[in-house]
Amino acid sequence: MLGKLLIGFLLLSPPALAGPDSQWVLDQSALTYHVSHPLHQSEGVSHAARGKGVCHEGQCDFLIAVPVKSFDSGDSNRDIHMLQVTRGAQFPIVTVRTRVPESASTSATISLDLEIQFAGQTAQYKQVPFQRVVQGNETRINGTIPAKLSDFKIDPPSLLTMPVKNDFPIRVDLSWHPM
Amino acid sequence: MLANTAHNWRAGVGGFAVVLLFAILGPSLMAQTGGRGALRGTATDPTGAPVAFAMVTTTSVDSGQTLPAATGTDGTYKFSLPPGNYRLRFESAGYKTVQIPAVKINGLWTVVQNCQLEADAQTPSGTTAEPAQKPAPGPPNNPAAPSLEDLGITPAQAKGDAKAQALLDRRTHMLKVHQRLGLITIGPFAATLITSALAGGKQTSSTDRDLHAILGAVTTDLYFTTAYFAIRAPKIPGTQTRGPIRLHKTLAWIHAPGMVLTPILGEMAFAQKSRGEKVHGIATLHGPVAIVTGAAFGLAVASVSFKF
Repeated sequence: MLGKLLIGFLLLSPPALAGPDSQWVLDQSALTYHVSHPLHQSEGVSHAARGKGVCHEGQCDFLIAVPVKSFDSGDSNRDIHMLQVTRGAQFPIVTVRTRVPESASTSATISLDLEIQFAGQTAQYKQVPFQRVVQGNETRINGTIPAKLSDFKIDPPSLLTMPVKNDFPIRVDLSWHPM
Repeated sequence: MLANTAHNWRAGVGGFAVVLLFAILGPSLMAQTGGRGALRGTATDPTGAPVAFAMVTTTSVDSGQTLPAATGTDGTYKFSLPPGNYRLRFESAGYKTVQIPAVKINGLWTVVQNCQLEADAQTPSGTTAEPAQKPAPGPPNNPAAPSLEDLGITPAQAKGDAKAQALLDRRTHMLKVHQRLGLITIGPFAATLITSALAGGKQTSSTDRDLHAILGAVTTDLYFTTAYFAIRAPKIPGTQTRGPIRLHKTLAWIHAPGMVLTPILGEMAFAQKSRGEKVHGIATLHGPVAIVTGAAFGLAVASVSFKF
């Protein structure tokens, strides 16, 4: 009977056994977008990203989320305009998902396939290169996402009737540590 | 008799074992879900192929709250929801919208709700609601893949606010009009300043003064219409003014009174000239006030147009 109970317990408890192999948490972050206008360049930075990575069966799934309104360009007027053109009140969170083979976590350069949800649209960026630097318990990831306004169906905002360029590269600097 | 007793004993122990397992695993499962239930499933087309990026929306029957999600490249979707009754809606370009009127979510078990989408002849097949995209990452088959809630972002925080967006849209629209009118105002403003050279002095004709006055009146009208769109543009709560817009707004404290004073002083100077008098008294300030006003206005335009 004890054997049956044990077998029953084991059969009903796979969720506990199939838990994640390891997890990562985002410690510090700087996400910076860059916008080009014929009259000037501007940048907006957010340090408000949250992120988590879960590794399971050799694959690590990462999710990073950042509120649209947390980007600060140093100009409140521009920030509110950015919030409007990106439909930031309607879609307040930008999410970035990626999957990395666990074995890739030892490479100095990694290329990631990213799925970004922003402004109510989803866009994929294939093989975006990132630098990986390990400092003690911390793993730092740096790179630039070659985002375009048209990928998210965002009308380029204009100043003095001149629109900004379609490209708005996003510089990424993330520090992760294992949980 | 003995067989019946043995059977009853086995049944009793079996029942006890099930209860025991529930007692052991129940709190664990509750802890995993945090009192929330999971809803997941796959959207497929009539051939059984997954439909990627279909919009899936849950609506709580009790609260009316909606929560959107999109299927992944493998057609799967996942929600973590408070227990209750929900309506489910699947939408994707090229397919008919499917509504599932009742899905019951409890805090213990994962509810699986798959959906087969039927091709819609109204919209061309192969079109998607997504932008031109590069290939997607691999399918999210990791059952523990993180969700927004794992990051401490609640559904309420992730939920859009259509009213706030409408406020932003209205603000942008009004400020665009403000910007365009401001740029247009520069033309008659400059012309007024230029014609001032012909309007002053003993030798000037009445026609030159009239032209100057008309241009000044047009400038004043355009200026206050421009100002109206800035003043009436909705304010966004919780916004602290930072950056060049501060200078732009500060300069309004110079050019706005200037735009009130300049026509009044101009009218006085016009009347004095029309009587054949030399401009005198406070009316002599018409020119200097106009120049300061023009400079402040030009600087206000430049402050938000160029990076210093």
